[in-house]
Amino acid sequence: MSGDKNILYPLTGILSAVVILLSGLIFAKNIWCPVLLVWFFIWLMLFGCYRACLKVLLPMLVLGGIFAGITYLASGDGMSAMSMMNRMAAVFLAVVPGTSITPVQMARCLSSLRMPRAVTLGMLIALSFVPLLTLEIRRVREAMVTRGAGSIFSPQILYRAFLIPLITRLVNISDTLSLSVETRGFTLSGSDYSIYHLQSFRPKDAVYIIGIVLGVVGMAVIV
Amino acid sequence: MKQNDLTETLLENTQPEAPVEKKATKEKKSFLGYQIKDIVFLAVMSAVILVTSAFMPLLLHIPLFGVIQLGLGLQFSMFPAIGLAKVRKPFSLVFMSVFSGVVLLFMNTVMFVCLLFCALIAEGVSLLIFRSYEKDVACFVACAVYFPLSLPFMYVWYQIMGGTVLSYVSSIWWVTALMSIAVVALCCLGSFLGVRISKELKKSGVMKK
Repeated sequence: MSGDKNILYPLTGILSAVVILLSGLIFAKNIWCPVLLVWFFIWLMLFGCYRACLKVLLPMLVLGGIFAGITYLASGDGMSAMSMMNRMAAVFLAVVPGTSITPVQMARCLSSLRMPRAVTLGMLIALSFVPLLTLEIRRVREAMVTRGAGSIFSPQILYRAFLIPLITRLVNISDTLSLSVETRGFTLSGSDYSIYHLQSFRPKDAVYIIGIVLGVVGMAVIV
Repeated sequence: MKQNDLTETLLENTQPEAPVEKKATKEKKSFLGYQIKDIVFLAVMSAVILVTSAFMPLLLHIPLFGVIQLGLGLQFSMFPAIGLAKVRKPFSLVFMSVFSGVVLLFMNTVMFVCLLFCALIAEGVSLLIFRSYEKDVACFVACAVYFPLSLPFMYVWYQIMGGTVLSYVSSIWWVTALMSIAVVALCCLGSFLGVRISKELKKSGVMKK
């Protein structure tokens, strides 16, 4: 996503993800389903999700191909393999709007809808914390290697040398994080607050969702 | 007269602050009795659940009933148990399921709704039996029940969609039964581990109530 102007309204993104996923599952066995999925893909590309689309394209094709191959080998039915590929593609395409919306935009959108601040704060932290967490996991693994702790696949070593240090570190990080949030004047009370960069529903979002719905309606008519 | 005035003024100044006002300020800073540190910890635990469940899309289409629950059971019971052992307040589990469900909302909306209901039911069951989360057993029960509860929900979902979309529910009844037992056992183990880890961390002073 290149800038705020190209970003979808977060709730539109969620709605479209639900529609894409459900329609992909419902029409998976239909011969025209790949056409619908291609339509979704193009539509998402047109509405600013091109980076996310290109990112999921390879895993979608590879994993979809693997699962479709397994299904074909198991059942010997080409139609079943195709429906598996369609379902896999629907899941990946449904994820695209989600990956295009940053946690901050989601939090701003929900804040503007007067969602309790505890919920928006929690969502924001849960989504933003993922990269930091993967880094922490890597650090604990490195510490394990340095100490010569042994294989992580051993339950005792996993518990003592991986889980306990990781949770300890997470408790410390969460304490620091909560202090940091509090010192920045964040409260959970219902006091008034201002939202930097309001997220609002625009005509572009309406066109986007109409396009998605039209695709589904067209598919339903064909079926 | 002057000395009396002075005494009165001094007494007025030394009056203790009204306790009611203090309580009001404290209440204002929290949401449903939750403080920022509680929400942050629950969110961090939800992030751990998210990261450790990253392989979920791969399990989504394996045509075997309960395979998602079997793959994610340990994470979805252990980390909520740790969260609940630290933040022993009603709705902790619901908060964690909402926070970790943000990603599920895009990937598997049905699962998100299902987990939200499961969290509500699990909390309800645990609080009905134990009244609060003060005891470790209450945390254990809530987290052990939480994820396996999604099995009947998913069963109903697959039955509804089964005719046209998915044929996940195995026609061989014992496969379904075996998978369900395995999921329950795994979630009990995860919940036990979570409570044990939190106990150990409390003993060492890392985790405070």
